[in-house]
Amino acid sequence: MQVAVDGPWSPLLGRLSLAAIPYDNPILVSTFAVVALLGIVIIGAALYFGKLGYIWREWLTTVDHKKIGVMYIILGLVMLFRGFMDGAMMRTQQLLADGPNSPGYLGAQHGYLPPYHFDQIYTAHGTLMLFFAATPLVAGLGNLIVPLQIGARDMAFPYLNATSLWLTVSGAALCMISLFVGEFSNATWVGLMPFSEMPTNPGVGVDYWMWAFQLSSIGTTFNAINMIATIVKMRAPGMRWFRMPVYCWSSLTTNIIGLSIFPVVTVALTMLGIDRYFGTHFFTAGYGGNFMLYVNLFWIWGHPEVYFLMLPAFGLFSEIVPTFSNKALFGYPTMVAASFSIGGIGWVVWAHHFFTMGMGPELNGYFSAATMLVGIPTGVKAFNWLFTMYRGRITYATPMLWALIGLVLLLIGGLTGMMLSASVFDYTVHNSLFVVAHFHCMVLVIGAALFAGVTYWWPKVFGFKLDERNGQMYFWTFVLASLLVFVPLFYLGFAGVTRRLDYIYNPALKPLLWVSEGGIGMYFVSLFYFGKMLYVSLRDQIPAQADAWGTGRTLEWLTHTPVPFYNFAVTPQINARDELAWRKAKGVEGVQPTHYVPIHLPSNTAVPVIIGALATVFGFAMTWRIWWLSIASLLAIIIVVIIRSFDKNEGYVLSAEDIAKMENQVALASIIAEQPKRPALAQVEAH
Amino acid sequence: MNPPKQRRASLLLKPLLALPALLLSGCTMAGIRLFHPAGLVAGAEMHYTLILVITMLIIIVPTLLMTIIFPLRYHHSRNAKYTPDWHFSLTIELLAWGIPFAIVAFLCYLTIQGVYAVNPWAPGILANAPGARQPPINVEVIATDWQWVFVYPDQGIATIDDLVVPSGRVVHLQMTATSNMNGFYIPQVAPMVDAMPAMESRDAFELDQPATYTGFSTDFSGAGFSWMQFSTRVVPQAEFDSWVASVQANPNQLTYAAFQKIAQPTVNAGAKPAYFSAPDKNLFGEVMTAAMQGVVYPVPDSFTKRVSDNSAQGAQAPASPQ
Repeated sequence: MQVAVDGPWSPLLGRLSLAAIPYDNPILVSTFAVVALLGIVIIGAALYFGKLGYIWREWLTTVDHKKIGVMYIILGLVMLFRGFMDGAMMRTQQLLADGPNSPGYLGAQHGYLPPYHFDQIYTAHGTLMLFFAATPLVAGLGNLIVPLQIGARDMAFPYLNATSLWLTVSGAALCMISLFVGEFSNATWVGLMPFSEMPTNPGVGVDYWMWAFQLSSIGTTFNAINMIATIVKMRAPGMRWFRMPVYCWSSLTTNIIGLSIFPVVTVALTMLGIDRYFGTHFFTAGYGGNFMLYVNLFWIWGHPEVYFLMLPAFGLFSEIVPTFSNKALFGYPTMVAASFSIGGIGWVVWAHHFFTMGMGPELNGYFSAATMLVGIPTGVKAFNWLFTMYRGRITYATPMLWALIGLVLLLIGGLTGMMLSASVFDYTVHNSLFVVAHFHCMVLVIGAALFAGVTYWWPKVFGFKLDERNGQMYFWTFVLASLLVFVPLFYLGFAGVTRRLDYIYNPALKPLLWVSEGGIGMYFVSLFYFGKMLYVSLRDQIPAQADAWGTGRTLEWLTHTPVPFYNFAVTPQINARDELAWRKAKGVEGVQPTHYVPIHLPSNTAVPVIIGALATVFGFAMTWRIWWLSIASLLAIIIVVIIRSFDKNEGYVLSAEDIAKMENQVALASIIAEQPKRPALAQVEAH
Repeated sequence: MNPPKQRRASLLLKPLLALPALLLSGCTMAGIRLFHPAGLVAGAEMHYTLILVITMLIIIVPTLLMTIIFPLRYHHSRNAKYTPDWHFSLTIELLAWGIPFAIVAFLCYLTIQGVYAVNPWAPGILANAPGARQPPINVEVIATDWQWVFVYPDQGIATIDDLVVPSGRVVHLQMTATSNMNGFYIPQVAPMVDAMPAMESRDAFELDQPATYTGFSTDFSGAGFSWMQFSTRVVPQAEFDSWVASVQANPNQLTYAAFQKIAQPTVNAGAKPAYFSAPDKNLFGEVMTAAMQGVVYPVPDSFTKRVSDNSAQGAQAPASPQ
């Protein structure tokens, strides 16, 4: 029943052996050296400053939505860096391996990466950027901001929230392990079928990809449940549906999409797993299997996933543009309607990802037309942002610059997307670099929104702004780099360069490849300014006001900066859509509560991080077919969850005096501050 | 939908779209194949693309201008008119929904018309083509890992990586694959269609002028994918006939057993052609049936690892089956 594998297998170590470690590859060895060195430096620094206990108590075991959000964002940024390095390697390989006479280095015939290595790199690039960079950044900002904007203390299910984070981290950890133990998938981030099946992909790469993806998608499903419950049930008194900030609306739509689609991909990956482990034929070409089934299932998840990432970006623009135009958002009701339209249409357009699989003109015509409909609500959103700026008082702070460039990129990406949605055009550039350039334009919109969001809310979380000067240098270099990299790709697509090529046979394309490579160089410059921005901001730490940008409109700017771990000392009463703007107009924004009531908060717990660690072990064991370890780690997860369900700890109560003290000295309540041990509620009752 | 009108439109519109390309780099213009369609099908693709793009620009250009002008005009330093509480206008909202709706409706109409015109199964645009009066040239395409096998059932010949067709005749392609999915594409000539194992797909084109084009795979299928080019040669009918005769005289015969050897993972760098006479009468059907019955040509990890490695001597070494 169980599938026989290529090569040796032992009951103790499965397929794992010393040969799995690629010590003969200089690129991987040097990467390992850098990663190991960084790890030693970080752990060493934590030990030296005696912060290990602090990191464990205040961060790894936390259930605070803001800390979880920050950790999501750190994960996203680290993975963004790794994904970028993969991208840089790919562009360099294509530049070098252009034409039959192109030179070869490091043992490769053309360029410096043979297909075996190159194919893993672009698979990792796509997988990391989508699941472990964009998704954590979006989830992180959602975690940070949504509870603050609706006046909640925390997410509806704080423990589930931490579990979502650590499952995502375990997926990312598997990707990182695959770099140094064994190999990663070469079957592209979408998992091509039947190519991902055992006969054509007998290595462990696809298994690594499958489990990393699976674990993170389960984490994202949990997060979606949590967000929906939080937004529906935990709004502050007076916050009716149509007083909710547009960012919360977009989070709601996005997580409804997430909840409906992630289970689909979980099922599809499970079926692939059964194929690979037990030799069934769900997605093979033969024996009655149907790989078209996988393609459909994957894109039923995959296309809504695009909007799952895009709608929060739109939500971020809808917060940032009004703030820096010092004007109310234009067309609030149609913004909400447009979000739901985009989400709704997103469910019924998936087949435009495979117009070339021969669906016939009826289906291709339908999916072309349905896809084009997305242009309508997206256009509405663009117009509403423009009319928010119209007759406003605009300041070019860094978040606003990101939002503006996001809008420009949205127009380019939208134009090319509408072109691609016409299958008559798609027939000429499908799977080409034109498509690559199009969706990079779109993910750069998401990227611009995320950088805007991080810069915008940074002072709220940490109490000081990011340095404007270096932030703007980072912005301009990043934008220039993006244009240099991706504009040539549009032309290369027209010139007939397919995506995923290890070798380009047409040497006449060299100039365009050089321009693109120049953009990669520019990205490194922007990376320098990003680092400098972080360094200067952390060094100076100029304290920011509660309303850090001076023109904030929504609830989160009402509480202290940095935001206390209990969010609001007293749950606010909501009077208007833009609560802070309303209070400013009434002149009551500075009014402090006269007395405090005790706040009930959840206790920290180590269970989520333990589940994450065990899930990593489980994924690793399944990848290498170490059955005893898979069973043991799966059982351990179940046991840990059962033990946790008998836990009588019902959180703790923050006394009114404690709150008063921290309200007078906000730094004590900051999320960076170490909190004194407070007795858990169950223990209090026992006394 | 008459062809001459389309050509005129394309002639007018072509320079417009090509302008940014010229600005970027004059020398690469020749490589931008989309702007040099050959034959009716690719011409129709180009025609619809241009009309679609220009229609979209009706909305994109003003929006882009607004995106540039509004932030400049309403910068706080300009002291322009300021209405902080103005946040709704029914007229603007109706226009914001209405204009995109009208444009998208027109685009949908055009696209659906275009899909039927270039439908690879039976392109509407070829129905009245000059070559449609003669019987079509049938070619069966089998994508292996990683070569293209072209079988001419009517002529009784087969080639590897060399598609030769006569000018002025409609070419009907039937496609399948041995183990993996590949995209069959000849830019400037025919729509891209996937060649899939255990499935049959189709494509069609007609070219009037003799020329040579490069085709390739567009859907990743493994380590040798980057080298999956093939040449497409359009030759006059007389030349085609003599070419067919010369291949028919080739002693190499493509039996199913010979095909099974060819279908082993092979990187054919530089797309070196091979020619066969007397292919198995039902080769295409046999390949499809085999795939349905679960026949796969496995790609061992050890082979993947050394493709295009210097040690593999140019990666032409065919792998032994396991």
